[in-house]
Amino acid sequence: MNLKYYVNILVVFTTLVGFSQENLYTSFSIPDNLKQHANAVIRQQSIDILIKSADEMIISEDRIITVLNKYGDRNIDAYVGYDKTRKIKDLEVLVFNDFGKEIKKIKKNDFKDVSAVDGGTLYSDSRMKYLEFTPISYPYTLRFKSVVSTSNTAFIQSFMPVDDYLISVENSSYTITYPEGITIRKKEKHIEDVSLDKEEHIGKLSYKVKNVEAIKLETYSPLFRDIVPKVLVALNEFSLEGVKSKVENWDDFGKWMYHDLIKDTHDLPVSTINMVQNLVKDETNNIDKAKKIYQFVQDKTRYISVQVGIGGWKPFNASEVDKLGYGDCKALTNYTMSLLKAANVESNYCVVWGGDDIINIEEDFASMQGNHVFLNIPNDNEDIWLECTSQKVPFGFIANGTDDRDVLVISSEGGKIKHTKKYNPDESIQIIKGNYSISTDGSIKVSAHINSKGLQYGDKLSLETEREQDRHYKNRWRYINDISINELHIENRKDAIEFVEDVSFEAGKYAKIIGDRMLFTINALNRHTNVPNRYKTRMLPLKLSRGFKDVDEVKINLPDGFTVEALPEDTLMETKFGSYQTKIELKDDTTIYYKRIFIMNDGEYSKEDYDEFREFYKTVARKDNAKIALIKK
Amino acid sequence: MRKIAVLIAFSFTLTTYAQNFKFGKVSKEELQEKFSPIDSIADAAYLYKHRNTFFNYNENEGFQLITEIHERVKIYNKEGFDYATKAVRLYKNSSDEEEMAGLKAYTYNIVDGKVEDTKLGKESIFETEISKYRNETKFTMPNIKKGSVIEYKYKIISPFISKVDEFVFQYDIPVKKLEARFEAPEYFIFKLNTKGYIPIMPTTETKHGKITFRSKTRSYTGTKFSSSDLDFSKQVSTYNLSDVQALTKEPHVNNIDNYRSSIKYELSYTKFPETPIEYYSTTWEDVVKKIYDSNGFGSELNKTGYYEEEIDAIINFISDPKKRVALIFNFIKNKVKWNGYYGYMVDEGVRKAFKNNVGNVAEINLMLTSMLRYAGLKAYPVLVSTRGHGIPLFPTREGYNYVVSYVKFVEGDGILLDATSIYCMPNILPFRTLNWKGRVINEKGNSTFVDLYPKHISKNTVSVLVSLDENGDIEGGCRSIKTNHNALSYREKINGVDKDDYIEKLDNEYNGLEISNFDVKNSAEIYKPIQESYKFEKESQADVIGDKMYFSPLFFFRETQNPFKLEKREFPIDFGYPSETTYRVVISLPKGYKVESLPDSGVFQLPDNLGTFKYNVSLANNSIQAIISSKINSPIIGAEYYETLKLYFSQLVEKEGEQIVLTRI
Repeated sequence: MNLKYYVNILVVFTTLVGFSQENLYTSFSIPDNLKQHANAVIRQQSIDILIKSADEMIISEDRIITVLNKYGDRNIDAYVGYDKTRKIKDLEVLVFNDFGKEIKKIKKNDFKDVSAVDGGTLYSDSRMKYLEFTPISYPYTLRFKSVVSTSNTAFIQSFMPVDDYLISVENSSYTITYPEGITIRKKEKHIEDVSLDKEEHIGKLSYKVKNVEAIKLETYSPLFRDIVPKVLVALNEFSLEGVKSKVENWDDFGKWMYHDLIKDTHDLPVSTINMVQNLVKDETNNIDKAKKIYQFVQDKTRYISVQVGIGGWKPFNASEVDKLGYGDCKALTNYTMSLLKAANVESNYCVVWGGDDIINIEEDFASMQGNHVFLNIPNDNEDIWLECTSQKVPFGFIANGTDDRDVLVISSEGGKIKHTKKYNPDESIQIIKGNYSISTDGSIKVSAHINSKGLQYGDKLSLETEREQDRHYKNRWRYINDISINELHIENRKDAIEFVEDVSFEAGKYAKIIGDRMLFTINALNRHTNVPNRYKTRMLPLKLSRGFKDVDEVKINLPDGFTVEALPEDTLMETKFGSYQTKIELKDDTTIYYKRIFIMNDGEYSKEDYDEFREFYKTVARKDNAKIALIKK
Repeated sequence: MRKIAVLIAFSFTLTTYAQNFKFGKVSKEELQEKFSPIDSIADAAYLYKHRNTFFNYNENEGFQLITEIHERVKIYNKEGFDYATKAVRLYKNSSDEEEMAGLKAYTYNIVDGKVEDTKLGKESIFETEISKYRNETKFTMPNIKKGSVIEYKYKIISPFISKVDEFVFQYDIPVKKLEARFEAPEYFIFKLNTKGYIPIMPTTETKHGKITFRSKTRSYTGTKFSSSDLDFSKQVSTYNLSDVQALTKEPHVNNIDNYRSSIKYELSYTKFPETPIEYYSTTWEDVVKKIYDSNGFGSELNKTGYYEEEIDAIINFISDPKKRVALIFNFIKNKVKWNGYYGYMVDEGVRKAFKNNVGNVAEINLMLTSMLRYAGLKAYPVLVSTRGHGIPLFPTREGYNYVVSYVKFVEGDGILLDATSIYCMPNILPFRTLNWKGRVINEKGNSTFVDLYPKHISKNTVSVLVSLDENGDIEGGCRSIKTNHNALSYREKINGVDKDDYIEKLDNEYNGLEISNFDVKNSAEIYKPIQESYKFEKESQADVIGDKMYFSPLFFFRETQNPFKLEKREFPIDFGYPSETTYRVVISLPKGYKVESLPDSGVFQLPDNLGTFKYNVSLANNSIQAIISSKINSPIIGAEYYETLKLYFSQLVEKEGEQIVLTRI
């Protein structure tokens, strides 16, 4: 076939017909700016949400996506979840080759039907139909149509036209229609940089965006969800698994959760109540009582996730956890809360976006949010936060999971947004006190005492129970080859929240011997080797989500018969991102003191700051690799 | 080592206590045990693991396979809590399914010095339909604490009589006592396949069995009941093991399950009274025959009608056999795309795969083989077990999970082909298939072995021109030529990726290299080697100390870490294919400096010609020339070479790190 001829015809066809739907079934009509960095282009998407009543919603979706290469396959998103209350009414996929010819049609029954349990969950009654599809060639276009109905209106799908990196959007629309008597609330986020059309009448709200270019993932950038445009929508009157409620703000929301989901579940048996009261009878203040109870919960329970029906939202009864000794985050939090209540210690159930990524519950928009539940104990100076699903973490320790974010605190009086504890660099400190000696054959012998707190305590916690600890250290000091560990002692001081490591090791050929000289890197114990990625044009702002502080004090013994020929210079760098300081002191012929302080601040900066930030890290990496030269006497 | 073993065995006798394995008879000693005497750092252990698998005759269903499980698990610490949840997989197809029955389970704890039990309740049992072929029953035990002992028993009733699950004797946690029993009526002839390092011998005996058939006949005299007995013998094998060590993982092992001790009962044939013998498999020949004769294989190979016209058009005026192979191979790679599924059996069939342009491994490679035969070549399917699937140690149909194609030429030479990836070449198979040996099946269904590990070396030859300035910064150009598997993996990596994104990735791989003028040649012309070239800049590549400069002639290209860190190793080191990397570096010196010393040239060699490292640095016309190459000649190296190999890599890393010293004039 004469391809060129064919293409020409197509182009003519295009200009004649303009923006007909068929035209979207080929990649030829994609504007150039949308192809840049894109693995796939959403040609046209429409999401229509029809609220028939507070307990009936129909969601229709029609999406045309052109996939440009193999990495775009994962973005066809041809799946629908369903369960007892969420039904698939209609489901169909059409596939087109790049000439716009339909080559395949897939009906509902040809979709794979699987349980939608993720790896961490023991059981869930949600299921999923998904399309397994192998493209024959790229680009191809896929049209996905689905209609789903549900009686749960607590969650309204947001308008989020861009849902992944490296995806661009040609046209996307979102409409929600609702009957008289129901009101909706909305919150628009990050819409400044897109051309957004909005239409708002009573009973109808709709949005349209077009021409959104693909975003590339860059390191040290804000979370994807904090960059892309999004409109959150919620009903003031909704239904969840048959339970109806009216919510206009967090206060209402908290009341609803407390009274409808939590209140009735604090049914501890009398024997357990007596046991708890007995357990804390010698403690005079609430914090000490809570500590004992937390320890009891950690010893008694374990985390098992089971999600069934409204059980997905309502915690298991405390009596159930008391009997079984396990539960999910809701059940374990609720159980701890019940025990505290039995000991007259007030605590509050909290909803949070849990995880390493810091995500806030939207302060001014009450709706179903969050993916995790934990506990708050109000306290005059600083509230105490308890993670109830871990058998390991110390009392009140929440680093890298629920720290530094807005959460919803629920009490009988209602809901309130509070901010959790932030670990500052000064608190997240690692102190190394060590010494090493270099022998005349270039080998190194090290002993180090390492003390970690805060976030850095959290980083090391898993080390305590690691089976092959040697491997961990060989990897931590991977720039030293053929390490053999002589002594290793690890202590997790749970009360003080301090992790202490005492390590001694040796390795041959640490120093390079070149004729009469010997050359080695002075920083043997804590080298920062990684330089942040370079971007020709940085597109996203710079974000450093957590900070830390490292202090190293190392005494170095030099080999006999050598004298120092050259020492690295002392360094002092202060930037807004952090500071770096080294001091090298030649004590006598055979002793050097090396001191290094490296502080990394958290913070948000502009994209223009990225190069300077990278330069800072680059300098740190270079300075950390600075060498001493010795020469034979 | 042997001494230690004796010592350990001795200490067992000191710490063991009489155990009662009857269900429910959990002792205080078991509950009080703080760590496993078999492995003091184990998180959990099987105190007792019992399995009994036998056949049962049911008048409605016929023979059924019954498996009874009884396990007692000790949980030593919180990391062992995962063993308090058990998942049982149940297979099914469109008409039949396995069924689980009679689950009983308890958790035992010591409370105030007394043994307390908690029964598993209905609320802690969960049934899920995972997919069309699999159900799963999970249960999680109540009241688990450090030190708990759990015990459960259940039964699986299976209609799939030829599918006896593997008897596994070694787990990720230690086993104190293991009993296994397998009983089969004389009508079922099984073959035993053993693997792993633990010596396992069953005790066998023959027992007597009887089936009573009842029948009801109605005639004009009334209903008449009759019964008849069928006597038969059955073979019983039992296994008794104690103190089985946990199997721990080691890095760079192809597949740890290759080393796990187990026994597989493979149904060889069935021989019912007054029925002809039906063969399943016993030898490799049988396995191959069975596969060949099955619908999803041999007959698919013989279908030709669906492609004849197109193949005729392609090979019409070409008579050279090798050219014909190349054309057909190329045709099919472009025509039918792999859907990611493995298997030596077709799924929807070759005809449909051809029509839809999509197929699984079998559809693509059987189609290829068939087309080659049609074109007059001697082409054969080759059964393969992929790296992830392990090494096929015994003759079973499950031993293989993949098929490729082999063409034998009149001259006697042959080539292996796999058309699932567009970047594959003759004899360059995807990495996943480079696993031991494949089975070549001829037209009659007989077979021979073919070595899947490549014999030809995959090369990466890198030429670098560098100029070093007085600050220790460098700039230069780099050109590398990659062949065979190096080219294949490069093509898989780079094709379809935005060039700028790839450059950024490369930048960062070398920790902040600044790359420009990046170019790749032959990324689509797979029969030519890959040529990659770029210009680069990088800071601080030499240490400037006083009036000297120190640097390694390989700069950022050098190996800085020994890949082998463990003290010892039990399993072979698997590289997949032989390879050679050569660097030719020419360095021009900064003005005002001269060479004070160069590292000595040298050669390191692995024994038995397994590998060589050559290092040569010389001075010519005020520029330094370095030629450094490392070569591994064997795709797989036995564990007995581990220490030598580790030392070799350590020397290599050290040599590459040796410094050139310049001094200011």
